[in-house]
Amino acid sequence: MKSLDGRGSIHRALVAVVDDDESVRESLPDLLGELGFDSKVFQSAEEFLVSDSFAKTRCLMLDIAMPGMTGFELQQELKARGQDIPIIFITAQKEETVRKRALERGAVGFLLKPFSDTALLGALNTALGLR
Amino acid sequence: MTESANFQNDVPLGTSIPTGEASLESILCTEELNRRASRPPDYEKENRALVALMSALDHSPSTIFQTLAETILDIIQCDSAGLSLLTRDGKKPDVCGKRFYWPAIAGMWNPHVGGGTPRNFGPCGDVLDRNCTLLFTHFERRYPYLQPVIPAAVECLLVPFYVGGQAVGTIWAIMHSDRRKFDGEDDRVMGSLGKFASSAYQALASIDDLRFQVAERQKAEAAVRELANGLQARVQRLVDANIIGIFIWNLDGKILEANDAFLHIVEYSREDLVSGDVRWTELTPPEWRDRDEHTLAHLRAHGSAQPYEKEYIRKDGSRVPVLVGAALFEGGGNEGVAFVLNLTEQKRAEEVRERLRQAQAELAHMTRVMTIGQVAASIAHEVNQPLSGIVTNASTCLRMLDADLPNFEGARETARRMIRDGNRASEVITRLRALFNKRNPTFEVFDLNEAAKEVVALSVNELQRNRVIPQLNLAAGLPSVFGDRIQIQQVILNLIRNGSDAMSTVEDRPRELLIKTESDESGGVRLSVRDTGVGIDPKVEEKLFEAFYTTKSDGMGIGLSVSRSIMERHQGRLWAIRNQGLGATFILAIPCSTNT
Repeated sequence: MKSLDGRGSIHRALVAVVDDDESVRESLPDLLGELGFDSKVFQSAEEFLVSDSFAKTRCLMLDIAMPGMTGFELQQELKARGQDIPIIFITAQKEETVRKRALERGAVGFLLKPFSDTALLGALNTALGLR
Repeated sequence: MTESANFQNDVPLGTSIPTGEASLESILCTEELNRRASRPPDYEKENRALVALMSALDHSPSTIFQTLAETILDIIQCDSAGLSLLTRDGKKPDVCGKRFYWPAIAGMWNPHVGGGTPRNFGPCGDVLDRNCTLLFTHFERRYPYLQPVIPAAVECLLVPFYVGGQAVGTIWAIMHSDRRKFDGEDDRVMGSLGKFASSAYQALASIDDLRFQVAERQKAEAAVRELANGLQARVQRLVDANIIGIFIWNLDGKILEANDAFLHIVEYSREDLVSGDVRWTELTPPEWRDRDEHTLAHLRAHGSAQPYEKEYIRKDGSRVPVLVGAALFEGGGNEGVAFVLNLTEQKRAEEVRERLRQAQAELAHMTRVMTIGQVAASIAHEVNQPLSGIVTNASTCLRMLDADLPNFEGARETARRMIRDGNRASEVITRLRALFNKRNPTFEVFDLNEAAKEVVALSVNELQRNRVIPQLNLAAGLPSVFGDRIQIQQVILNLIRNGSDAMSTVEDRPRELLIKTESDESGGVRLSVRDTGVGIDPKVEEKLFEAFYTTKSDGMGIGLSVSRSIMERHQGRLWAIRNQGLGATFILAIPCSTNT
């Protein structure tokens, strides 16, 4: 799906990645770049909350199980702050119940690690399509 | 008797003679003895009498004094005859005495037996003072206390006798009328009778002494016999109590006698024993014979041998572990006694302990696995990281190469990352494999109650540390179950630990943990662990068994999810309920061995 890969627009959409997983933080930005997105990585939910990228972030890729504030807790916090950023949860937890829970909480996407680039693109399009 | 009358008249020493009494000289006429014509001696009669006296001393020493008095009467042909002996208590001779008593009297004065005179004021006293024979006439004129002693003594011949050079008393002859007067012959005969009196006195003293010694010896013998009987009775009780096997053996290998306990140990009958079929040399298995030889040598040298463990062969050929001690009887014979203790129970207890130790080691290992399970989860998580990194990098790599303007440097970088991540994943798996030596489940038939008891026994220290009181309510007669014993024990341990943790904040009530087993309606067996802890929050009830669900800050949420999958693998179930009162109950159900 190359039509909505963001390459055409002047401003590439900013995707924020919050994951305590180092290899995710290392590899995802390059892939996102190839897919036509800008990205910023954060080690923890707290780090994201204190950053100044809120306004510009078009989509949030969020890990669930993290030490400290979990993905779900960050989602809660953002809702409380009235920040309506579309969230794609990325996680290694295969359990159906986790997926159900994530979607119930209003996530636009749920990706199971390791995920393919096509799956990633699909989720991103869904997320940005709602904007 | 005039005894008391006489002794009331005891005159204390140093008192002056009451006036009106005759002087001593006036009542003596000793010199008359030699002036008077002597009657002819009757040596034959005298000798017969002496022989009779010696015989009497031999046969009836207790009455010798009376016999002597009668002999004096007979030979001297007087009216009364008797002895005076120094005494203290008036009943038996005592040379330190202060008075005389009459132990024997023959003739007319016989009724006065037992009476006596004071040492310091009396005829016998005079004789001992002068140390010679004296002839008195009417001595009651001097010694008023003798006046009541009737008939009066017209003449009294007193002869002292000695023992060990010391005067101990007198013999005397009395005439109550003028019919006869004592002469030199009487003096001579009384002299020789006096010597006999000495012998009799000494003999009696010896006999008394002997009698005393015999009595003492008899007392001692009685005491020893008592002791021996008591000891024998005790030994007999020991033999009969049949707590220890006891047998009597000889060096030739025979068993001469044995108690029931011993026969029971080796399972031979009493008939076997009596017929001589049971020989201790053959009871011992061949590999123990050397030790036996060694023991025998020690026995011969020292009389006893230290107890040692060995085995006997029973009548049916089976072995029994025993502890044997032996001793040779004193007296240099070839017989002895042996004590045998059956060690079967001890060995069994040791086996149980060993099994428990092994079970503990296995359970510890499995618990480590449980904890490793938690670690494994995080490690799995860790493996997933490099793997997803690889997939992402690979996707990037392809896109970079597919671009109109290929980004070779970018592609190379992703490739490098992939290699690195691949290696990392491999390391993690190696680490995981080392820690987690996965055990293949072994299914067998086993008793759930026994398995539960083992787990509780192993946890009791930990529970005590947490002030948790475990209570077991295990139903009897439950059917055996079929499964992997260790894994089921893992589940039970998990439930017990969870129950204990649930009560870790409880302070106002006892921390009770009830472990119960019972039959299931479906025919299987149920085990429940009930605590009085914080209970189950209804909001999280359905998540309890989920992987990674935990209420513990350091928990990974593995225990219950692994436990549930173990139960599912056993065609069983694991679930939890909130108690009517406080706390929660976790229940596992497992089908019994016939249901699979």
